[in-house]
Formats: sequence, C-alpha cells, structure tokens
Amino acid sequence: MSVLSIILLIIFFSIVISYVLVLIQHWQKYRKIQLSAPMYSILALLGRESVVPRKADRLFFELGPALLLIVAMLAIAVIPLSPELVMINLATGALFLNAILAYVLVALIMAGWGPNGGYAMVGGWRFLGQLVAYAMLIVMPITAVAMRAESLLTTNIVTSQVGMWNIFYQPVGFVLFYFASMAMAFLPPFDLANASGELAGGLESEYSGVRLLIFRLGHILLVFTLAAATVTFYLGGWLGPYLPAWLWSAIKIVLVAASMFSIGHFVPRIREAQMMSWCWKIGIPLALFNIFLVGVMVVVFP
Amino acid sequence: MIISAQLIFITFFGLAAVWFGIVVFRTYSMVRSAIALLFSQTALGALFLTLQAEFLGVLQIMMMATEMSVMAIFMVMFMMDPGGLGKMDMTHQKRLSIIAGIVTFIAAVAVAVYIDWGPITTVNDAPTIQIKALGIELLGRSMLVFETAGITILTAMIAAIAVAIQPKGNINNNHKEPK
Repeated sequence: MSVLSIILLIIFFSIVISYVLVLIQHWQKYRKIQLSAPMYSILALLGRESVVPRKADRLFFELGPALLLIVAMLAIAVIPLSPELVMINLATGALFLNAILAYVLVALIMAGWGPNGGYAMVGGWRFLGQLVAYAMLIVMPITAVAMRAESLLTTNIVTSQVGMWNIFYQPVGFVLFYFASMAMAFLPPFDLANASGELAGGLESEYSGVRLLIFRLGHILLVFTLAAATVTFYLGGWLGPYLPAWLWSAIKIVLVAASMFSIGHFVPRIREAQMMSWCWKIGIPLALFNIFLVGVMVVVFP
Repeated sequence: MIISAQLIFITFFGLAAVWFGIVVFRTYSMVRSAIALLFSQTALGALFLTLQAEFLGVLQIMMMATEMSVMAIFMVMFMMDPGGLGKMDMTHQKRLSIIAGIVTFIAAVAVAVYIDWGPITTVNDAPTIQIKALGIELLGRSMLVFETAGITILTAMIAAIAVAIQPKGNINNNHKEPK
C-alpha cells in the first residue's frame, strides 16, 4: 500500500469510529439510537451564528479549537491500527504521542484565554492544574510499557504483547493510564475545564456555531486517539483471533471509549484539589512501584 | 551548494524560531508572550527533527509545552497588566540589554564558527540505533552528570515547598482573620 492510501484509510477509519463514538454519547444521553443524530448536530452548529465576543484575543480565540483538532489528528499518526496501517512508524513513537498530546493543554489555554470571558478563562487555567495532576500518570505507565517492549516503536509495543496483553502483565499501569487518559480528554468526572453545571460550559461557554463544532470535533477525536493509545499500549492493539487486524482495533477502541464515556454517569465530578492530591499522593507512588515491578518481571520472566 | 529539502526545512524552522522569539518582546499580552516563546522552542524542536536528532526533537517539543504554559499562568498572576490591554511598558534598562544582547549574539556566532566540531557526518545512524546509544550513554558515563542535575532540581523543589507552606504554630499573631 502506498503512503497516501494508508493516510487516507486511517483518516477514514478515524472519522467512522468518531461517528460511532458520537452515536454512543447520544445514546447515553437520550437512550435512543438515531444514526443521523451527529449529522443533525453538525448541520445545526453550521447553521447557527458563530458569535465573537467583544475584546476577544482574536488570534487565540480562532486558533484554540483548531489546534485541539490538529493535535488530536497528529497523535493518530503514530498509532498502529494493523501491522501495515500506521502513518509513520517513528522510532520515538510512544514519546511522540505524549509530546503531541501535551499541546492539548496549549490549545485549551488558548481557547480559555481567547474569548476574554470569566468562565472560559477559569476553565482554561483549571485544565493547567489538571495537567499538573495527570501528566506524570501518562508518562510513567508508558515508560513501563516501553520497558517491556524494549522499544519506543508503537508497533513493537503491540507485538511485545503477543504472549500476554499488558493489561494483565501490568494492571496497575493500565488503571493509572486509563484514568489519566480520561483526565486528559476532560471527560466526566474529570470535566473540570468545561463543567456544565458550575462553570456554565467553561471552555465551551463562549464558543458557538462553527467554532464550537471544531472544538467538539477536536474533543471527540482526542477521545478516539486516547482510546486508541490505551488499546495500543495495554490491550494488544490489533492482536486477536479470527477477525482481521483492523477490525480488532476498531472493536477495542470503541469498547474503551464507550467505557470512558460511561464512567462519568456513575460518579460525581471530582474536585481540583482532590484530584491533585490523589494523583500525587497515590498515583505517582503506584506508577513508580509499577515501573519497579515491571523492571523485575522483565528480568525474571523475559 | 545543492538546496535540498532538508536545508529548506532547516531555514524555515530556524527563521520561525527567531520570528517567534521577536514576537515575545513585541506583544503586550503576557499569555501571547509566553505562547510565542513556546512556539519558538517548538520550532527549535522541529529543527532538531530535520537534523535527524529524533529523540532530542521530540523531547524538546514535549517539555516546552508544559513549561511555557506553567510560565504563562505565573506571568498572569504576577504582572499588573496580563492582557496587555493597558499597553503598559514593562521594559527597563534598555541600553544595557541591547549591549548584552549584541555581545551574547557575537559570542554565540564566534563559538559556532571557530570551534572545532570534528568530522561532519553526512549520514546519521537510524533513529532506533541513536536511541539505544543514548540510553546506554545515560546509564553509563553521563549518569553522574544527570543524577547531579536531578538532585539539584529536587533540592530546589523541596526548598520552594518549604518556603511556600505556612508554619504550623501561628507566628504572625498580628495578622488575624476578622471574625
């Protein structure tokens, strides 16, 4: 397959899966399956007026949502959906994923600062605090995953899990990475940045029309990317019997993303201080323990 | 000299880094200033990528995003006019800084031109080999250097926290909250 066809296939795959994710979200909210619902939402947002606040920092206001979308798409580039279906197999793939996703923060700070509105700004800075909490819990579990694979290549990380998936090999790392991913995607209960009740939408409060559409599109693609990263690092990526590789990737990504959406329905929104304290006092020691444990296991059971 | 794609990219990212560096001082907004510095550093990271130093480039791109964003919130907290709406002039000691800037620039150029860089490699090792060599280097000869740097930063962090937390016994009795 040529590079261009691989890129187009992966983009098509991402769009289809993201569409399914929106359907799942719609079902969880309204309890009915309506295949055209995302289309109606897109048309409605496109048709609405996109208000620009007075005295906005216009550059950041316009760039914030766009950067979120770009970042989520760039991160997809290193995720393997099947042995051939990976845009660019970087030697630093696992690190690159982490590096690019750090710009989610930059995008959200821009989107928070840009509109010159109180709720949005609080939302943006809240996400910065959230990053200080979750960032280490993304990096440290990835370190343990790379230790087992002895490589930062994402394809090597998947093939290292042929004998046993990482979710069983390093369950502590999986739990930490899973919740840290949810925090990075600001999904409930970690939706401090765009809390609907207390911040009137936070980051989303000043956006409307086509700009809100881009913001939401970026958000859903970010969820897709993080679910795909979880699948690659812990759930054996494309590995699985009978079905073709890409289908296994698709099934796993949808299941992980659906589980991420579901958790928010059962727990209340976490407070910033609680999150910081749990992540640093419980999460980081557990992550360090995980690295130590995996180090021992890699030596004892190679 | 053949103009290769690599050279074009190096020039582009180099100029981008310089341009964003200039933007840092041309804006009144603290957040814009911090983000411009961030993009200047990101352009440097991209420059490393075009120089086939993949690990260094990705690391640079990763580290700067968080660091500059944290700097942005501190600048917003401490500066009197964070949005830059009042067009407050925050520069001072202009002549000294111009002289210091020019001297540093000449020194940096002199170092780049006159130092003996050794034989120039035209073809780099594959990134996987580079990363492996880097890992072995970090856990071998360079370990002491990195550990010393790490311990120094840790000490600074502990000291900062020790300064920031309020002592338990209330020393300042004059400053009581109104009931």
